Amino acid sequence: MAASWPENPRLITTRITRLDGMAKASGKAKYPSDMRPEGTLFGVMLYSSLPHATVKSIDTSAAEKMPGVKAVVVIVKEGATLRYQGDDIAAVAAETEEQARDAVRAIKIVYEALPHAVTEAQAMAADAPVVVKGGNVKKGRASTTLEKGTETIDAAFAKAESVIEGTYSVPVITHVCLETHGLTAMWDGPDKIVAWASTQAVQGTANELAGRFQIPVSNVTVLTDVMGGGFGSKFGADIWGLTAAELSKKAGKPVKMFLDRIQEHLAGGNRPSATGKIKLGAKKDGTLVALAAETFGTGGVSRGAQFPLPYVYSIPNTTREHADVFVNGGNARAMRAPGHPEGCIIMEAAMDDLADKLGVDPLEMRIKNLAPKDFRTEIYLEEIAIGAELIGWKAKRKPRGKNGNGPIKTGYGMALHQWGGAGARDKQVTCTINPDGSVELRSATQDIGTGARTVLAIIAAEVLGLQPTDITSNIGNSTFVPGQASGGSTTTPSMAPPALNAVTQAMEAMFAKIAPAVGGAAADLSLKDGKLLVKGEAKMSWKDACRKLGMTSITETGKFTDGLSAGGVAGVQFVEVTVDIETGKVRLKKIVAVQDSGLIINRMAWDSQVSGGVIGGLNYGLFEERVMDPTTGQMLNADMELYKIAGASDMPEIIVHALDTPAMRARGVIGIGEPPTIGTAAAIGNAVTNAIGVRVTQWPMSPKNVLDALASASNQGKA
Amino acid sequence: MRAFDYASPPTADLALKALAGGTDTVVMAGGTDLMNRMKDDVTSPGRVVHIAGIKTLAGIDAETIGAATTLATLVASKVIKDKYPALWQAASEVGAVQLRNMATVGGNLLQRPRCWYYRTGNGLLAMKDGKSLVRAGDNRYHSIFMTEGDALFVAPSSLAVALIALGAKATILGADGKERTVAIEELYSIPKAEGESELTVGKGEILTKVILPKTVGKSASYEAREKESYDWPLAIASAHVVLEGGKVKVARIVLGSVAPIPFRSEAAEASLIGKALTPETATAAAAAAVKSAKPLSGNAYKVKLAEVAVKRALLAAVGQIYWEV
Ligand SMILES: Cc1cc2nc3c(=O)[nH]c(=O)nc-3n(C[C@H](O)[C@H](O)[C@H](O)COP(=O)(O)OP(=O)(O)OC[C@H]3O[C@@H](n4cnc5c(N)ncnc54)[C@H](O)[C@@H]3O)c2cc1C
Repeated sequence: MAASWPENPRLITTRITRLDGMAKASGKAKYPSDMRPEGTLFGVMLYSSLPHATVKSIDTSAAEKMPGVKAVVVIVKEGATLRYQGDDIAAVAAETEEQARDAVRAIKIVYEALPHAVTEAQAMAADAPVVVKGGNVKKGRASTTLEKGTETIDAAFAKAESVIEGTYSVPVITHVCLETHGLTAMWDGPDKIVAWASTQAVQGTANELAGRFQIPVSNVTVLTDVMGGGFGSKFGADIWGLTAAELSKKAGKPVKMFLDRIQEHLAGGNRPSATGKIKLGAKKDGTLVALAAETFGTGGVSRGAQFPLPYVYSIPNTTREHADVFVNGGNARAMRAPGHPEGCIIMEAAMDDLADKLGVDPLEMRIKNLAPKDFRTEIYLEEIAIGAELIGWKAKRKPRGKNGNGPIKTGYGMALHQWGGAGARDKQVTCTINPDGSVELRSATQDIGTGARTVLAIIAAEVLGLQPTDITSNIGNSTFVPGQASGGSTTTPSMAPPALNAVTQAMEAMFAKIAPAVGGAAADLSLKDGKLLVKGEAKMSWKDACRKLGMTSITETGKFTDGLSAGGVAGVQFVEVTVDIETGKVRLKKIVAVQDSGLIINRMAWDSQVSGGVIGGLNYGLFEERVMDPTTGQMLNADMELYKIAGASDMPEIIVHALDTPAMRARGVIGIGEPPTIGTAAAIGNAVTNAIGVRVTQWPMSPKNVLDALASASNQGKA
Repeated sequence: MRAFDYASPPTADLALKALAGGTDTVVMAGGTDLMNRMKDDVTSPGRVVHIAGIKTLAGIDAETIGAATTLATLVASKVIKDKYPALWQAASEVGAVQLRNMATVGGNLLQRPRCWYYRTGNGLLAMKDGKSLVRAGDNRYHSIFMTEGDALFVAPSSLAVALIALGAKATILGADGKERTVAIEELYSIPKAEGESELTVGKGEILTKVILPKTVGKSASYEAREKESYDWPLAIASAHVVLEGGKVKVARIVLGSVAPIPFRSEAAEASLIGKALTPETATAAAAAAVKSAKPLSGNAYKVKLAEVAVKRALLAAVGQIYWEV
């Protein structure tokens, strides 16, 4: 019989500190970028300084002769086109980082500059230079849904009693991983390689390296013990990783190659921008009737600016036309809940604007328009009630612009979001029980900062009557049994079921083996508090029981089985802000995040995922923006100074509330990494608007955007 | 960053020698500005002369502040806090605590502009093919005053704003070993051509101390910024008023982060003379201060911020804070 989650868990659902928390906090943990095996050379990338250019010639001869230089690799051929600032050209490995940087500067590139477009406005202009063949604007077909009996979207709007029109925009942001992209590569003979990679996918990275060098993947070991954040941008070896391996092969020494902060911003991925020209109509009571949306965004030189809209709410008549705009900027990459934060911002802003026009409570209007047949609706209702209570919605919120004397205005906003988070069905975990009592789990998944290692240990400890610290949770090694790549909030729901099965199988195999020696049938044995019980009575310690295994360990491989995990979460966030209308300064006072995600394995790590999601979201709401210069095509803030992110003193009170009910627990394990970052920026925008009485249509909610919105409203005589 | 010589002399005289001995030498105090420019290849000195170890340059003695005094030390001084609140407030909001632990008073006054065109290698005036990148591009953090010329970056020092309002002076040890003392505002000038500096302290010279006036009136600074943690002012103002019989006798009002040099507003000052300092007169003075503002394409919002900063600095100086809840 397949295993099931315990009805009254001892550890699961409780708060358990991370196994590697102390090592990380004290600096003992070795991140991939800390790895310097004996003789390591430093790799440095040379990347394009121009946004669009042809490489006329590359001359590496001077660089090759420089002190300490051990290998040079040219990535692009002469004549190739570079499509954005940060596009890869060549790389150097040298004995010191300084030597490598000097050598990179000594590579002579003759560029022929091509005209560029780095902003959406430039790319969409009538006389825009060609960013990609076939046009800079790729418009999808309009998709329209109409209810029975309604012929056109205009006819649908005619039935609405109130309609708002608005344009809402959010800029491109970058992932800002604290550990930049990269790896350290070390060859062991001509056809074996070890790489310490900062990656969300050890096996994917191993496959890429094997493919590139035409060696069996079993000869490739990718190790990621811990890593410094990926957020969706670190799924492969990338050009720089493959180049590091190539430099290492050439030089016969390990090569460490991690991007500098500038290239990290330029080429390490980004979340596309989004603009939505929205028309939304409803009946007097707030029941939505129709939505018409023209949207666009840019994912750089790649597609990927699509996002879900309509979002969350059920609207009988909708039409949507979306265009991907291509600019000379780095490729978009998946970023924490790809598409959803953008869709949420645009939908929720329009919802609030319409509620304001109708004079209905935006909370009530949201409830009214939840999808009637969606299982999430019940969950939303419960979450909205809890969140409203925690923020004081009914008691404290006032209509727009009516809250506060003097320049400091108070505002409240909310947003709903949703996500999938179901696991993959083809992953495995092995569990080994050794005669000395040690227990080891293995799988080729990795901990991208979510606490994945601890999750597996908690499950094993739960089943075996031990403590998580008794378990060795061995992940981040591509040579282990297949583990999940960490994307889409799927790691825990993919790995928890096979972990439970592996440990349960191993325990059963152990019982079968030691039963004769401990005086009972296998069915009479159980484990509790570090002891082996026979017919419910403590017989011996766990260690003594394991000794009965004799010389042989037990290893079992667990697979996915149904019923242990699920997908599909809701979630609501509420925000309280004050806005100084003289300075445009927004201060976050309180953020309430009410979130479901089925059965929560480690509540402490779960809370930290939700807080982390909120913090990421508040950066999006208040600060972040990739700024591109139209003339030079350069990114102007490729740093961590003018690319702004919150520090400790910008943090509001964050209240994390888990919808941890018997009904939710019964659903099994669901991922949590992405959903809690979706709604924050949308709710902040709505809170700011509620405070100042004027819609700020441009994210982030910076003093500039807030003051500009106030100024343009007062020019129109509205404020 | 490129390779460079390094000297860490124990005395100011030896520092002068070390500065004179190399090509392209530069002083380093806390290094929080210089190192960033070196890492970004904006500044590539042949020799760095580190003055942090020169004991005579550090510390606060009555009205004299050594140039190598850290901002943390400045902020910890009760005398500064009580007698020169404009300076204390400006200093206490610089960057964040980690920065203030390293950054020095001299380095703060002589730091180079943060203009993102300058810092990405386009030169201080950021002209390309005879056109201003700043005017054509993203100028949200740039000047709103004196924007007729090509220098559109903003003077970055918060301390300079407060020190000018307070009427402070700086002493400079010249390359010839002779000292001179100048008003803080004389440390700055507007460059007319690429290659000219916005600073008047020459290569091979050392700023040794800042001298505050013995008697001062009431003062305060107000800064508007995006983040609470680690950030720059979008606009900052320092106000210093001497009141006599409830009326303003002397007023010095200076704005920062709004022009290529600290911007003293004589118009605002004049509007206050002979009047009581009230919300109404402060509002009028603030309006006078921004009358000559000529914002660029993307920074009209800074005019509002500059205006509010002047109003609030004035009212804070007389304890009339109306904007905190
Ligand atoms: C994120 C961030 C936020 C910041 N926010 C603010 C802010 O709000 N307000 C503000 O004012 N500043 C701010 N700063 C800048 C910071 O205050 C300066 O970097 C610092 O004060 C420089 O001091 P330092 O001793 O480190 O100077 P250094 O980096 O050592 O030197 C700076 C320059 O001054 C020269 N120099 C230094 N001392 C002398 C001397 N005695 N004689 C001659 N030349 C000298 C150096 O040659 C160099 O060119 C911020 C910086 C950062 C990174």
